[in-house]
Parts: sequence; structure tokens; C-alpha cells
Amino acid sequence: MGFGRPLGRGLLIVALALYTAFAASPFVWVFVLSLRTTTEIYADPYGLPLPPHFGKFADAWLGSSYDVYFMNSVAVVFSAVAIVTVVGAMAAHCLARYQFRGNRALYFLIFSTLIFPPQVTIIALFQILIEYQLFDTRIGLILVYVSLQLPITVYILESFFRRVPSDLFDAARIDGYSEVVIFWRISLPVAWPAISTTIIVNTILLWNEFLFAIVLISSDSKRTLPIGILKFMGDQSNDVGMVATGLMIAIVPVVAIYVFFSEKLIQGMTAGAVK
Amino acid sequence: MTGGSVASSPAVATSGVAAGPIGLRAWLRLSDQPFGAILGFLLPALLFYLAFTVYPVLLTIYDSIFRVLPNRPATYVGLANYTAVLTTDPTFWQAVRNTIIWASVGPVTEISIALLLALALYAKIPGMRFFRIAWFTPVLMSYVVVGIIWMWIYNYDWGAANTLLRFLGLGQLVRSWLGDPSTALPSLILVTTWMWTGFNMVVLLAAFHSLPAEVLEAAELDHCGWMGKLWFVMIPMVQPTILNLAILSFVGKMKVFDLVWVTTRGGPLWSTETVSTYVYRRAFDWNTFDLGYPSAIACIWFVIVLAGVLVLSRIFRRHQQLEF
Amino acid sequence: MAVVELIGVTKTYPGGTQPAVQGVDLRIEHGEFMVLLGPSGCGKSTTLRMIAGLESITAGTLCIDDLVINRVPARDRDIAMVFQSYALYPHMSVRDNMAFGLRRRGFSRPDIERRVASVADGLGLGPYLDRRPFALSGGQRQRVALGRAIVREPKVFLFDEPLSNLDAALRTSTRGELARLHQNLGATMIYVTHDQVEAMTLGDRICIMSSGKVVQIGRPMDVYSRPADIFVAGFLGSPPMNLLPATIEVDGGSHAIRLGDQRVPIPATMPASDMRPGPVIFGIRPEDMAVVTADSLEAQVATVAPLGAETILSLALPGVPQEALLRAARDVALRPGDHVRVACDLATASFFDPDTGRALSSRLSVGA
Repeated sequence: MGFGRPLGRGLLIVALALYTAFAASPFVWVFVLSLRTTTEIYADPYGLPLPPHFGKFADAWLGSSYDVYFMNSVAVVFSAVAIVTVVGAMAAHCLARYQFRGNRALYFLIFSTLIFPPQVTIIALFQILIEYQLFDTRIGLILVYVSLQLPITVYILESFFRRVPSDLFDAARIDGYSEVVIFWRISLPVAWPAISTTIIVNTILLWNEFLFAIVLISSDSKRTLPIGILKFMGDQSNDVGMVATGLMIAIVPVVAIYVFFSEKLIQGMTAGAVK
Repeated sequence: MTGGSVASSPAVATSGVAAGPIGLRAWLRLSDQPFGAILGFLLPALLFYLAFTVYPVLLTIYDSIFRVLPNRPATYVGLANYTAVLTTDPTFWQAVRNTIIWASVGPVTEISIALLLALALYAKIPGMRFFRIAWFTPVLMSYVVVGIIWMWIYNYDWGAANTLLRFLGLGQLVRSWLGDPSTALPSLILVTTWMWTGFNMVVLLAAFHSLPAEVLEAAELDHCGWMGKLWFVMIPMVQPTILNLAILSFVGKMKVFDLVWVTTRGGPLWSTETVSTYVYRRAFDWNTFDLGYPSAIACIWFVIVLAGVLVLSRIFRRHQQLEF
Repeated sequence: MAVVELIGVTKTYPGGTQPAVQGVDLRIEHGEFMVLLGPSGCGKSTTLRMIAGLESITAGTLCIDDLVINRVPARDRDIAMVFQSYALYPHMSVRDNMAFGLRRRGFSRPDIERRVASVADGLGLGPYLDRRPFALSGGQRQRVALGRAIVREPKVFLFDEPLSNLDAALRTSTRGELARLHQNLGATMIYVTHDQVEAMTLGDRICIMSSGKVVQIGRPMDVYSRPADIFVAGFLGSPPMNLLPATIEVDGGSHAIRLGDQRVPIPATMPASDMRPGPVIFGIRPEDMAVVTADSLEAQVATVAPLGAETILSLALPGVPQEALLRAARDVALRPGDHVRVACDLATASFFDPDTGRALSSRLSVGA
């Protein structure tokens, strides 16, 4: 494309640097705050963490039930992602490879729920979970999470399963393999890149999920991390230092995944938006 | 369509697992396909879908015509909830107004800034991979984290926003951003723009890269400098992508709850009340604890969101066919 | 209408070890139809794109009408190009596709309308002016690409394998139209292709390239009958020229060719009669060999391929490792295994150095 003039390019880089500062500085600030005590922060909000108080992380973890919240999140998210991946892959495989009346209608129905505002299901889900004694249980939340992420999983995987050449299936059938084995040994391996992408994307989205968690869980021992942080913030909003440390605990897993899988994550989350 | 074997003749079903009457299988065009396997693959997903999506939606619609109170049988009220919401509830309309403003302004800012950023990266600025990764980061964060951080940024005394203004000598512009009804909503819109612009940028960049190079070369030979190429060729050709992003952003803002709940809870003075926060409040925070009323709101809102998506698609639909 | 001249033009991609195009010297005259011919990767498209300004020139000079234009941006070069994939603007109508370049250059509206209308009529696109590319067939899209170039009335037309995406029948008819177009417009045209039939039928001159270098430039029949090296000899002509290992023998004052176990004397009036003894590659085209009854080379028929208009015989010559192809009449009554006698028209034969592949004989030279 060529911006010939160096001045033009220079200005451009300045503009981009400014935007990068805009995008990244909140995180940098939180990181810095997480290593300082609240007194230090109130004295000088923008000072450097000298000395850095790494011990605060241990305090937050043990002293404020962060370990409980974190573990709940891990359990819920891990289970939900595992289930939705299996269930979604099976459905996507079926919709992509077999033709039957209603195939497209079904796909469209599942896909269209992506634009449903959550209000239209949350009240009813609240009632349903209470009625079936799944309210305030991690299992109930897991089941709801699975249904939340099913549409996007099916959407991403369906187009991948389509790409497996039919000849592979025909050959396998002639060799006498059953449909289940075909799914397991042919479809899944081919779509593995997409599957790993959906796993990563679903993990991030559910890790951060807030509305359903706050409605469907009420006891502190079962709270997930986002709610836990909010409660923590509510109880000790003046203890900025500790809150910042808590935020960092929540951010770190996400950043870790991002650092290792940035390309996959970006592709997965933006999949289908490019036309 | 690709896929397994095509069922041609409608008549006799023969394949291995015989489950269900032959007539049903023929109607479903499953005559020579493995009915059992298909069912097995679809059933779990279908169950989840029916139990946790379809059923709740129906239940919400059902609830909306009742007064639903805890530990009491529901009383049928017909359309009373709807009329109450639409005619006697100023908070509802305030929430609708706020949400629609958010859902209109948000996409515009997010996409236009993203366009500029994507074009900058398309021009192969050095360090573009770093920029791309850095700008995408806000998308990954929980709204709780984002909300708390920005509450600190907007803090009147020591927050970054006011500190920066004072530092630049613009002290008179300092205000309590989230505490002032006239600036609360714009402040939150800025936060969502901060979050989502990176996402839009990544998508637009990919769209630009997928444009056929020869068409851009043809534009070059047609006497287009980079501005000409941008305006007459590149942006028109990514219009379908822009539409997708606009819909995604629009729907996302119509749903927004987390950010508001963490920062302002709909205040001050309902200036940031959105339909989701209002529904939540009336369903779970209210004294009367009637679930019918907020269900009615949810149904109305559902219709509005669908209408919005249809309108958006229709506006852009004329330019859809860009086969290349 | 312009003269395009390339002097020592070289292109090396950053990080590349070999230049993609090396030392190309080429002069295209006013109104000439020059074809750049060669296999994939030979550098012909890169050369074309350098002329267009879509690739930068690493070394050498490019001139149009004696003006050096190495640094002139593509949009200012008054060149129009027809791309292999047509590169139409998918969001614009046919009319707008053709008018776009003119609008960008500031032509007046009536002027643009007049030009577009007349060019569209000439190409039979009149009824399609308001359609968009997705609603057109491949052939129609190609005409729009052509129309877009013609309407500009540029100094030079560039074509980058424009017929590759068409089916065979359309390709033949469009080839004829391109030839007529050149006659009508009389413009300077530079055409890239890998198809030697297109090159032979369309070109005033052909420039054959291989591995980034120019191998031979000349009029079609010159290049065909007097190829400068083995590569050109094998590239032009279908079926290709027979290239048989042989030896020149000198016995006293007379020369002869030893082909395997047989010996063909060369009359003193023929080319090669002044060549030194030693191994050569003997090149003879299938149409320059004939089945005869007289006393000449012996061969055994290996395969017979009747093509309808003619028959291609594949012959085994004793002592020669490769089979030779021969173009025979359609009603020749031979079967595999038959013994025949064949004669070669030595006047049309070519001789090549077996080490370098270049043609021997004082009559051959590279260039126009």
C-alpha cells in the first residue's frame, strides 16, 4: 500500500501507539496496583510497586475465599466445556454429514438463538432450576452453561465437519465401520483444529460469564469467580490494593491462555464474522 | 450440499438399525441412512436445546400473562402486564431509551475506529503483530474486571481520567463521570467501545486481507491512490463483514448487563438503566417478587431485538451479493 | 500506440536467492502484438507486472516512448491491463466498471458515456450494462474486463493469460476476437501466456522465456522453424519436435549423421555441412518426416494414433533410445510392429549442442 512520506508514517505510528496505550494501560495499572498496599496507593496512585508485595496474592487467595471461587469456576467451566464440546461435536457432525428433512431448519433454529437476549430465558430458567432442585447447585449452572454455548459451538464445528471429503466416509462405510466409529476416527481428527478452538473460546467466555451465575447461584461456597470478585469488591471496596490483587488472580488464567493460544483464540472468537 | 448418501427412492427402508415406523423414516428422508446413529448424535444437543432454551422461552411467554408470586398459584391477568409495561412504566421506557442509544452509538464508534485501525495495520506498519495482539486483549476480560478497573479510572479524586485532564491543564473538564447522570451513559459507552473495537479491528483486517489482490491492482491501474482504493473498492467490498459486525455489536449492546451492574447498577437516576438491569431488578430485587411482569418486559424486548436485527439486515441486504 | 523497451531488466525478491527475472532485453514496436511465452514460473508474468508498475524493478531500465518510467507509479503510466481472473469490481455494474478509470482520471461525463456506450456495443455488452459481475457468465465477464481496458484508449495494452479461465470453445472464438481487436485498434499489446497455440496465432513476435531469462525472440514461424535451443524446440509445436541423440561424422569431405545404427549422408548444400564431428542432438519435427518407399532410414512402428485429421506414428529406430514421432496421413495403413522406411527433410532440421542445448549452425541467431 505504501505511504511514501516518512512524516505520514511517523504520525501514523504515533496514533497507533496512543491507541495501544489506551487499550493496554488499564491492565498495566491493575497489575501495578496489585503489587502495592492500599496505603501506598492512596498516598500515590500512580507510583511504582517498590517494593512489590507478592505476598498479597497469597493473602487474597487464602484470606478471602478466592480459592473457593477460583475452584468453583474451574469445576464449572471445565465440566461445561467438556460436555458442550462432546454434545456440540456430535450434533455438528450429524447436521453436516447427513441429509434429512428438517436438517437446515434445525441448524437455523439452533444458530438463531445467538441473538436471543438472555432476559427471555433467565427468569424461566430460575423457575425451572428451583423446581427441579437444581437451583444454587453447580450442576444446574453447568447444564445452563452448556446450553448457552451450544449454538456457537455447533456453528463453528458444523462448517468444519462439512469440509471432510465424502469419499472418506464412503470408504469407511464400505470397510464396514459403524457410524459412531466413523465419527470418532474420521470426523473428529479432521476437525480437531476447530474443536480446540471452540474449547478455548468457550473456556474464556464461560470463565467470564456473570449474569446467569449471579442469578442461579446464591450461596457463597458455590460462587464462581466473577461473582466472588464482585462480592469482594462490595465488601471491601476501599481496599483497593486487595481488590486489584483479586482482579489479577482472575485475569492471569485468561492471559495465560491468550499468550499460548493467541492466534487460535482470535480466530475462534472472530470466526464467521468475516464474510 | 455435501454429506452422506442421498436418499433417492422414497420406498422401502433397508439399513441396519430399524427404529421407528417406515413411514416416518421415509418422510424424514432417512430411508437409507442410519437412523439410530443420527438420533444418537442429535439427541443430547436436542435435549439441552429443548430443556434449557425452548422450554424457558415458552415459559417466559406463559409467565408474562400471569402474576407469578412465590409459594402461591399464578393468577391469570391476560395482557395486563403488557399494558402496564407499555403505558404506565416510565422506567421501562427510560431503560429502552438508554439501551437503544447504547446499541446505536456503540456499533458506530466501534466499527469506525476499528476500520481506521485495520487500515493502518493493512498498510503493514512495523510491529503489526504486536498491535493486533495488544488491541484484542480487552475482549477477553470479564465485564466484572473491566467494570472495576474503569470505576477506578473514572474516580473523581485519583482516577486516571481526571488525573490526565488535570495534567493536561484541562482541569475544568473534570467531573464525576459515573456519578453525573449526564455523563454516566456516555462513559459506559466509552468502556464498551474500548472493549470491542479491538475485536472489530481483527475481523476487518482479516476481511481486508481476503480481498482479491488483482481487484486492488485493477484499481491502481484505474488511477486510484490509496485513498481512492479505500473508498471506492476496499470498504464497499467488505460491506458484508461490516454488516455482520454491526449486528453482533448491536445485539451485544441490547443484552448488556454485567458492565452496568458492576459499575452503576442503573444509576445515577436511571441514566444507565438498561432493559436487562431493569428486568433483573424487577425479577430478583423487587419487593413484590412478581415474575410475570418482568417476563412481559422480556417478551417485548425480544420482539424489539429481532426487529432491530431484521432492519439492520435489510438496510445492508441490497449490497449482499459480492461474489468474487 | 507506443514503443516499450526493456533494457537489462532484473527482478529479485527480497530474501530470494535467484532473480525471478534476469537481464531481460526486449523492444516492442509501435502497434506490435508481442507475446511472452513460457512455462509456469519462467518470469513472464513478473515481467508483465513490471511493465505495468505492479512490481518494482530491481535493476535495469524500462522505457515507454523513450521515457524512463521505472519510478512512475502504475496509475500514472497510461497502461491498461486485462487480468487472468478479470478483476472486475464486484460491487459495481458493468457500466461503472468500465467508467471507473475514466472518472478517476477526470474525463467529462458526456465523454465517458459516449466511450462506454460505443465500446460496450462493440463487445456486445449493451444489454448488460446495468448488471453486476455475479450475474454474468465467464465469457461476458472477460469482455467487461476487455471493455474496461479498451475504453481507456491507453498507450499499451497488457494481457495476463486472459483466456486461461475460459472453456476450450470460448477460448478459440475469443482468440479470434482478440486478433481482430488488434487489427482494428492497431495498439501496442503485450500478451502473456503459456499456451503456444495462442502465441503462434496472435503474436507478431514471440518472446520465449525460461527460468527468468529470455531464450529467443522472433516471429512465430521463425521461432518455430529455427529454435534457438532445445527448450524452445520442445516447447513449440504439438506434437513436439523430435530430439534424438546423434553424432556428426566426417569422412573425407563428406558429412553424415549417425542415428543409432544407421547413417544419413548430408549433401554439401545443406546446413550442418560445415559442422565439426561429434555428438549432437538432432531435431526434426514430426511433420518433416515422411513414410517413403525409397531406400532410406529403417524404422519399426511402435504405436499408431489415429487423430482423425492425421495419424501420429511412434517409431523405433534401431540403436536410438527414444522413439520418434511422425505425422502421417489419416489413411495410412500401418500397424504396430510393421517395418517402414522414413525420410527426414534435412533442410528443416535443427542441430543442438548436447551439453548447452543451444542450436548449432551458422544460420541460427537469437533476436528479431
